[in-house]
Amino acid sequence: MDLTGLKWLQQHQQMVSPEFLQILGSDGREELRKVESYLGNNIYDTIDGCISRTSSFQMEPVKNNEENRVIALGNKRKPEGKRETREKKKKIKAEDETESSMKENSNMSNTETSSDVLKQDYIHVRARRGEATDRHSLAERARREKISKKMKCLQDIVPGCNKVTGKAGMLDEIINYVQSLQQQVEFLSMKLSFLNPQLEFHINELSSMMADPRSFPLHQQGSLDYSVINSNQTTSLNALKMETSSNWDVHSQCLYSNLRTDSVSSFFSLK
Amino acid sequence: MASAYNPIYTDVPEKDVFALHFLQTLSNLRTQNSFSSPDNKTSDRVKKIKKAAYVSMARAAGGTNRLWSRSLLHQAAKRNNKNVRFLRRKRRVTWLMRRRSNRGDPIEDVAAERLRNLVPGGGGMETSKLMEETAHYIKCLSMQVKVMQCLVDGLSPK
Repeated sequence: MDLTGLKWLQQHQQMVSPEFLQILGSDGREELRKVESYLGNNIYDTIDGCISRTSSFQMEPVKNNEENRVIALGNKRKPEGKRETREKKKKIKAEDETESSMKENSNMSNTETSSDVLKQDYIHVRARRGEATDRHSLAERARREKISKKMKCLQDIVPGCNKVTGKAGMLDEIINYVQSLQQQVEFLSMKLSFLNPQLEFHINELSSMMADPRSFPLHQQGSLDYSVINSNQTTSLNALKMETSSNWDVHSQCLYSNLRTDSVSSFFSLK
Repeated sequence: MASAYNPIYTDVPEKDVFALHFLQTLSNLRTQNSFSSPDNKTSDRVKKIKKAAYVSMARAAGGTNRLWSRSLLHQAAKRNNKNVRFLRRKRRVTWLMRRRSNRGDPIEDVAAERLRNLVPGGGGMETSKLMEETAHYIKCLSMQVKVMQCLVDGLSPK
């Protein structure tokens, strides 16, 4: 890179952004390093300073070289979704101001001999450099997307979450639902303990279960507070009914054989 | 719901598995001496049944594969003064701690804290993992509630 190029770089420091570095390509980056050593790290300071107001040079500045750059992009691009989204966003933001500068660049580079490198390596290579400081924000964004995706799944599970939007409301709904479920467990256990102080119900219950699995309330909805369930859940429950009615006999028979000795012995011991 | 694409892996066994475990735990309870003695306070009995319900749910739902069930079983074992050793998965604690120190979203933090208090074993989890555990926990809880409800309905005098 000759001195005119260096001077131009120095003058147009505000344009030297990480996207510009992308554009340079690997060769250009090497040269830029030489430039950096020459200029005493000035460029990189401004580069770091420019990150906040970067603009993407990726569009159509040098149209004839687009195919070349696309190919190079295909080689050098890392398949990272987050980087791409970042690029796109910045592209949308700052398209206007870059076009004029790019034209400037292209004009300038046309006049220089050694700027063939510059002109060719204009467009699309994804920069590693600019993202060193932005890595935290990228990670933050990825993490937040993961969490929102999982919250959507939770929204499907918890009934009644569809009306509330926003993270806070949904989380409150979920918390209320968990609390109510736990309260139901407590309430039902209290009921159980009152109903049957000695827990001798096994024989009767199992025989009734074995006799008539379909009419046993296990396969019904039951009187729950949150019985407003999605239609999806009810269809799966019906499928469950069909499937498990055959299995239930087997299960209850095993259970019965397991418990029979216990219950019979306790029955006899109590009498 | 069975066919819906769910990135969270929440497969919960069917009702009869839960019922089986619950009844087994109850029968274990019954064979204990303290239970069948008549001079037993109802609150103690209730507590025992509740504990049995949770433990059976934990066993039925995933055993030690799930974090919440694991911590539930651990708590239960501690109360019985048993020393239980689980196979510990490798915990990337440092990464976790660093992640949790970078919290920046106050809305979700507060709610996540409340969730952590509710879901057993939620203290050491990151938020995304907490969501998974909550989903599985909710499914298992609802299944357990259904089983108990059916039990009560079956037992109540008609």
